[in-house]
Amino acid sequence: MSTKPQAREPYTPRTPRKFIGSYRPRIDAKEKASGKVQYIDDITLKSRFPDLLYAKVMRSPHAHARIKSMDIGPARALPGVIDILTYKDPEVASLKPTNAGWTDGVDTVSYDSMMWRHFRDRRVLGDYACWVTDEVGAVVAAETEAIAEEALKLIKVEWEVLPFVLDPLEAMQPGAPLVHPEISSNNVLPKDLVGGDDVFIDKGDVDKAFAEAEVVVDGTSTHHNATQGSLDNWCCVVEWRGGKLTLQSNSYEADQSRMHISQMLDIPIHNVRVISSYVGGQFGRGDTGDQPFFIFTALLAKRTGRPVKFRHTRRESFHDSRQPAIYYAKVGAKRDGTITAMYFKSIGNSGAYADHTMFALKFAPVEIAEVALARIPNIRMESYGVYTNKLPACMMRGVGNSQFNLSFSHMVDRLAEALDMDPIDLALKNFTHEWGTLPDKSLSEVLRQGANRIGWTEKRNKQAGNGPTYPGAKKRGAGFSFHPAWHAEWQEARRGAIHAGITVNPDCTVLLEAPTVETGSGSNTCNVLGCAEALSFLGITLDDIQWSHVVDTETSMKDCVQTDSAVSFLQSEVLAHAAREIKNQLLAKAATAMKASADDLDVIDGHVFVKAHPELRMTVRNVLFSGDIRPLMVKIALPPNVTKTGVPYIATFAEVEVDIDTGKTEVLKMVVINDCGTVMFASGAEAQQIGGQCIGVGESLTEEIIYDRMTGVPLNFNWIDYKIPTMADMPDIEPVLLEVWKGAGEYGACGIGEGTVTCAPRAILNAIYNAIGVRVNDIPVKPEVILKALGKA
Amino acid sequence: MKPLLQVAPKRGVPGIAKKAISYRLLRVNVNGAWHEFAIGRDIAPNMTLAFLLREKLGLVGLKLGCDQGACGACTVLMDGKAAVLSCMVLAVQAHERHILTIEGLPEDDPVVESFAEQSAPGYGTALQCGICTPGFVMTVKGFLNENPDPTLAEIKEALSGNICRCGCYAGIAQATLRAAEKMRIKRTRESA
Repeated sequence: MSTKPQAREPYTPRTPRKFIGSYRPRIDAKEKASGKVQYIDDITLKSRFPDLLYAKVMRSPHAHARIKSMDIGPARALPGVIDILTYKDPEVASLKPTNAGWTDGVDTVSYDSMMWRHFRDRRVLGDYACWVTDEVGAVVAAETEAIAEEALKLIKVEWEVLPFVLDPLEAMQPGAPLVHPEISSNNVLPKDLVGGDDVFIDKGDVDKAFAEAEVVVDGTSTHHNATQGSLDNWCCVVEWRGGKLTLQSNSYEADQSRMHISQMLDIPIHNVRVISSYVGGQFGRGDTGDQPFFIFTALLAKRTGRPVKFRHTRRESFHDSRQPAIYYAKVGAKRDGTITAMYFKSIGNSGAYADHTMFALKFAPVEIAEVALARIPNIRMESYGVYTNKLPACMMRGVGNSQFNLSFSHMVDRLAEALDMDPIDLALKNFTHEWGTLPDKSLSEVLRQGANRIGWTEKRNKQAGNGPTYPGAKKRGAGFSFHPAWHAEWQEARRGAIHAGITVNPDCTVLLEAPTVETGSGSNTCNVLGCAEALSFLGITLDDIQWSHVVDTETSMKDCVQTDSAVSFLQSEVLAHAAREIKNQLLAKAATAMKASADDLDVIDGHVFVKAHPELRMTVRNVLFSGDIRPLMVKIALPPNVTKTGVPYIATFAEVEVDIDTGKTEVLKMVVINDCGTVMFASGAEAQQIGGQCIGVGESLTEEIIYDRMTGVPLNFNWIDYKIPTMADMPDIEPVLLEVWKGAGEYGACGIGEGTVTCAPRAILNAIYNAIGVRVNDIPVKPEVILKALGKA
Repeated sequence: MKPLLQVAPKRGVPGIAKKAISYRLLRVNVNGAWHEFAIGRDIAPNMTLAFLLREKLGLVGLKLGCDQGACGACTVLMDGKAAVLSCMVLAVQAHERHILTIEGLPEDDPVVESFAEQSAPGYGTALQCGICTPGFVMTVKGFLNENPDPTLAEIKEALSGNICRCGCYAGIAQATLRAAEKMRIKRTRESA
């Protein structure tokens, strides 16, 4: 018996609008479904660049080593090898030290103002390898990828192999191998201006509060380094002829990439052209616009005078990851559930390079403290980022928040149990932002909806582990996790002005400039809906709007980077202003055509009319075709509205089934709730809520990078052994969109996509505890972890 | 495969007798048109079907996500029915076979339409970044050929060789159900 297609109840908009908030296909759906959208690897086929060369970089086979000597002679003699760039070449050796943490993608930064300028620990191409796979030594440019790979094998390297360390706690011990001795003498990242002191929050008197607390709970949890797993491997083609450099890539930061290249290679900005188009998934990968391989690919393009393509293989795509973090937390409370003290200490495994480690460990928790822990009188937080010889940790969807949440919602669940309270009641009693009241309105509704939809009272065992046993020794349980969102407009202040433009052609069609590299988030659809909404006085449909998917720094306005999933509303806020200006221009033009004063005119649904005599009217089209037939055009740049409004909340509820004989956990059902402020594009928002769980469930149960402890070699840099969930692994997921909180802008929306992964791991872990009565706190929860926890292995 | 193509060398190499080189010929039908490649001259014997389709024929709808048969993004149909992973098939294995790529589907293909239209409340869209979509579409084509009236459970099993990192699995399953429904309606109409 076949199944019929299904639909659930739609969400209820606070303010019904014509376009914004609708359930509809994405604007690029037809093009994508028919396979017509081209990604960087498609655009850069050899047939389109007949003289294309392929670059391949040497990678360290050792976890920690230095090149003593290198002989490229035999490789250079291989037919088809055109050039080999090495770390000794003057144009490489003279490059400034850099890192992959220039910016978190929010703002464009220079070399001097890069976010983590205290940790310039990378060479574009050096002789020092800090992890197995590190890009070092030499880059080959050859006629084919196969020849380039063959040439790498012919390069003879004499290595000075150094002792290595993989575990951050071991790396902190005296005598441990030092990864970057020039930066840290104990592998701990030193104090920096952005992250601040090791103890970066110390509010009230934490020690006294814990001494006086009636109930204290504590615990440790570890978040591991999952990888982003974009299907669209990093790729770029660089041409550098006659002083002009052109980079085409799947970087999602065009303006920042241009700045990076200009500053690293000392080329005037107008001689650098960066072009990006659709990207096949981002998830935070290389969230910095500063990939070192852009630079060595560019140098090869200059030396050979030919376009050079560099593309990661799937193995090489394990290039950065989420910062693994060990969190110890302790919470003190009164008997009535009032939390009086919170303490969090995290130790992050930076891996070989610092990148954005301290963003995850300090920046994110500072924001959380501001927007969720405002009523907790005593808080201390301390963090240590530690170098090891592992895969570097950079940005990944939910950066810092995912790691914190694994600990945070653990404490809520544990404290509630100690107090014999429902964790929902405990949460509502304590958490809000400093502009809100208790209980927080957003959090109340988020948790109420989650509880109703999952069936909290029925599905949750009153006593953990005490539920019935289902056939095959299976136990079921329910749990949840919640978190403050971090993508409200006021939190985007650092972006500076956001650029957008509207051109209305004489036939009333619209060219929309909302430059951003579309990575799948759906912001393109949000912006077209926002543009249509703002221009609804023209009486247009969505088909009348053309949005350009190409960001080209030579012709486009500055792109708004897809971080914080905030592009879904930031550009629409600016478009609302631009549309008002378009309206003014239209009425001014109509005033001439209609021989009236612009102040006396108005425009609704495609007709300009005299307010006092509505029968005196002209179609917009006729107005535009009158007199000087030229497009109406507005290009503006406006900063986000920084009025502080707090943030809304997000939560994930999960029901799991654990087989206590095999240790296998199956997630039966998930409910993902996001208070959005305003839903910009309902189908896209729900796709993000559901879609985020592919990463969330993967990080919880199956995704893990495994190293050989004896050699430091990562063993599963491929998609057979690194297990990303498929359709068969995913539960039914119910997305719930709410509009309770509202920001200060026209729409007052809040980005949701990034946060959808954040609560999944702890929701599943709390559900597992509720099912089996034994806590597991580290992810991923593989069957052997459960069996061990149950004393069976 | 027999040598089918003989090519006289353009220039004689000094000291070596001028001799015709013979190549084995690969004949493959892609989206209805036959193509011939001299193995060793036009293509390498170890070239994958995916590489041939993308680099030699410019059919870039199929993607190389993993190059090891783990993600399904390179799926194409062979001989009209079965979905195959073109990164795991050698080009020479497609000799005298019919290959259908997403470029060969009509604009109103019910699977393509269903993937594009999916937006019903509660299940999200069937695609976000869209890079895995051609692989999913071709896998669904192959699957619905075999099982025109699938259940949700059968769909989950059949599509579990494809990865969508954006996680649009719920939307993809719904799009597959809708495609099956469209095809059922079409069949009923045609038989009536």
